[in-house]
Amino acid sequence: MSKPKLAFFKLSSCAGCQLSVLNIEPVLLDVLGAIDITYFVMAKRSNYHGPYDIGFVEGAVTSPRELEELKNIRRECNLVVAMGTCACFGGIPSIKNFTGMTQRQMEEKVYSELWDIKSIPVQGIDYYIPVDHYLRGCPIDLEEFLTLVKSLLKGVNPHFRFHSVCNECKLNENICLLVNRGKACMGSVTASGCNALCPSLGRECEGCRGPASDCNAESLAKTFSKELGLDKADIVRKFRKYAGNTSEFSKGAGDNE
Amino acid sequence: MSNRRIHVDYIARAEGDGAFDIVIDNEGVLKKASWQVWEPPRFFEAFMVGRKAEEVPELVQRICGICPHSHHISALRAVERAMDVTVSEQTVLLRELLHYSDWIMSHALHVYYLAAPDFLGYESVIAMTENPDLLPIVKEALKLKRLGNDMIVCLSGQEIQNKTSVIGGFTSLPTLSDLNKMKEQLKKMKDFAYSTVGLANQLASQVPYKDLSRKCEHVALSDPDKYAINDGRFVSTEGLDIGDWEYPQWIMESHIPGCNAKHSVIKGRDSFLTGPLARVNVNFNKLSKDAGKAAGEVGFNPPSFNPFMSIVARAIELVHAIDTSTELIDAIGKPVEEEPKFSYKAGESYAITEAPRGICCHGGKIDKYGVVQKWDIVAPTARNIYNLEKDFREFIPKLLHLSDEELTLKCEVMIRNYDPCQSCATHSLKIRLRREGN
Repeated sequence: MSKPKLAFFKLSSCAGCQLSVLNIEPVLLDVLGAIDITYFVMAKRSNYHGPYDIGFVEGAVTSPRELEELKNIRRECNLVVAMGTCACFGGIPSIKNFTGMTQRQMEEKVYSELWDIKSIPVQGIDYYIPVDHYLRGCPIDLEEFLTLVKSLLKGVNPHFRFHSVCNECKLNENICLLVNRGKACMGSVTASGCNALCPSLGRECEGCRGPASDCNAESLAKTFSKELGLDKADIVRKFRKYAGNTSEFSKGAGDNE
Repeated sequence: MSNRRIHVDYIARAEGDGAFDIVIDNEGVLKKASWQVWEPPRFFEAFMVGRKAEEVPELVQRICGICPHSHHISALRAVERAMDVTVSEQTVLLRELLHYSDWIMSHALHVYYLAAPDFLGYESVIAMTENPDLLPIVKEALKLKRLGNDMIVCLSGQEIQNKTSVIGGFTSLPTLSDLNKMKEQLKKMKDFAYSTVGLANQLASQVPYKDLSRKCEHVALSDPDKYAINDGRFVSTEGLDIGDWEYPQWIMESHIPGCNAKHSVIKGRDSFLTGPLARVNVNFNKLSKDAGKAAGEVGFNPPSFNPFMSIVARAIELVHAIDTSTELIDAIGKPVEEEPKFSYKAGESYAITEAPRGICCHGGKIDKYGVVQKWDIVAPTARNIYNLEKDFREFIPKLLHLSDEELTLKCEVMIRNYDPCQSCATHSLKIRLRREGN
């Protein structure tokens, strides 16, 4: 049987998730033995057209040109994986959707020549195309990436459970940053899979993996306001950062009020 | 009879999306050489307005996945300057160690993954692994890159985006035993890093690269006491010497049609070069002893104005980064827990750090509630674009006898000297070469 063909594509992003793929140094050569990377512009010069078995898409859609590229990717790939929070939800660039400025105002703020700048509101890729699998996180978690690749090689669905970061945080026996230290931690509404990385390092969760499966953002927003004294603008900033486009985090930002 | 035109849709093995367009007329005269960055705009400078001061270092590191720590530390320093936050000596040393870790990862990635395949005639490092003679080198290179990554993970929680470093210090510190392990690893990789300088020099000494040179202004951070990385004055080979916070008055930007990244000049002067070659030229006598020795062994004479020597400069800096990291670990000793503290204060300030690929400038204005009023980002790749176009104009006429395929490859090597990351142009590659008359 021939090795499955993998392709890596980049839309609007920092390239950090693609670089993560190269950051699996200890097992990189083993992985390369099991797959064929046929398209990966960041890593190689000879890149081939599809069809591909699995296409990993990094980055959000921010321009009409990317939308065309994305549709083409969907046609060429048997399975499409949204790789990283930008591709899953829009990520950090999606903050611009909520600045209150129009596209044109924003373009004028950053660029002096506007004739060839064409930008649209930032969206994750499943806003436009069907997506088969998601790798969340800013950047992606390497273990999850390897789990997904191994599962797909065996032809089974990867078993990812998006319960809240709190679950993993408790298993790590951390002191609660929200309850005990008064930090505005987003762990209770954010999907796990990162092994509660930030809270385990004394840093409040910023919600980079997007909403958990049992997300109650409105309740956390109330806690931020009543218990920690955060003002409305601070709370909106919290929920409009990595996954502000999602309906769950929009509730935290007060869209239902 | 038509123009000779070289057009490459993506520059492979560079980060982000870009293109370049070269047109040569039927007299063999270069008519056009421009690098187009069409990395879609993400509007960082626009959406930073209205965010909180403490979010700035967290958000701006997401500009670039290869040098997140450079953006992060520049922004930290700018915010801290603006709000008058002072940090402990330990924090200063840990930030330096973090940044050198990023240099080790990024320089190893560049030399072995991105540049070496060009010079050795392979399409990628993956293809290099199929040659039994090269496989052991690739394996060592993977270990060297992993070393940088392991150091970053130890200090900041994850390879790519920083989780522990915040305004005023760190939320979590490595233990003494973590640091000692790091020191052992550094010691183990030192010889391989040292041999990289010789290898890089062999690569850059191939015809036609070894004979090419173009004088231009080289700029770098500089410090009288050490090789500057996170702090220092902004100094050039042509006598510029200013405070790093003054950069907005000196680095001028213009937006050129057809390119989403901005072109840079120094006020009253011309295009300039930033990055490893500029740093080694400006700060040669501050390199670690062994880095200087390795440079001497391959006959590197500063200042070198041959852009193809950038890969050698990068390898020299690898040795320097390993030596300096070891010294920093000794200076840090047993890390002491400190609570990172700050309070909001209105202010405006700017700062520069040396990203692996050149100066990374951040700064802006914060109000008394800690809300960002304005944020300015001057990323390294965008600084170099104009200078690269000048390299094209100088060197392509000397290479016209080559076939389109070879000339395209040489142009890609020229681009890769700058280790470009187009995402960090904030605001990626295609090569188009057209010869008129063919």
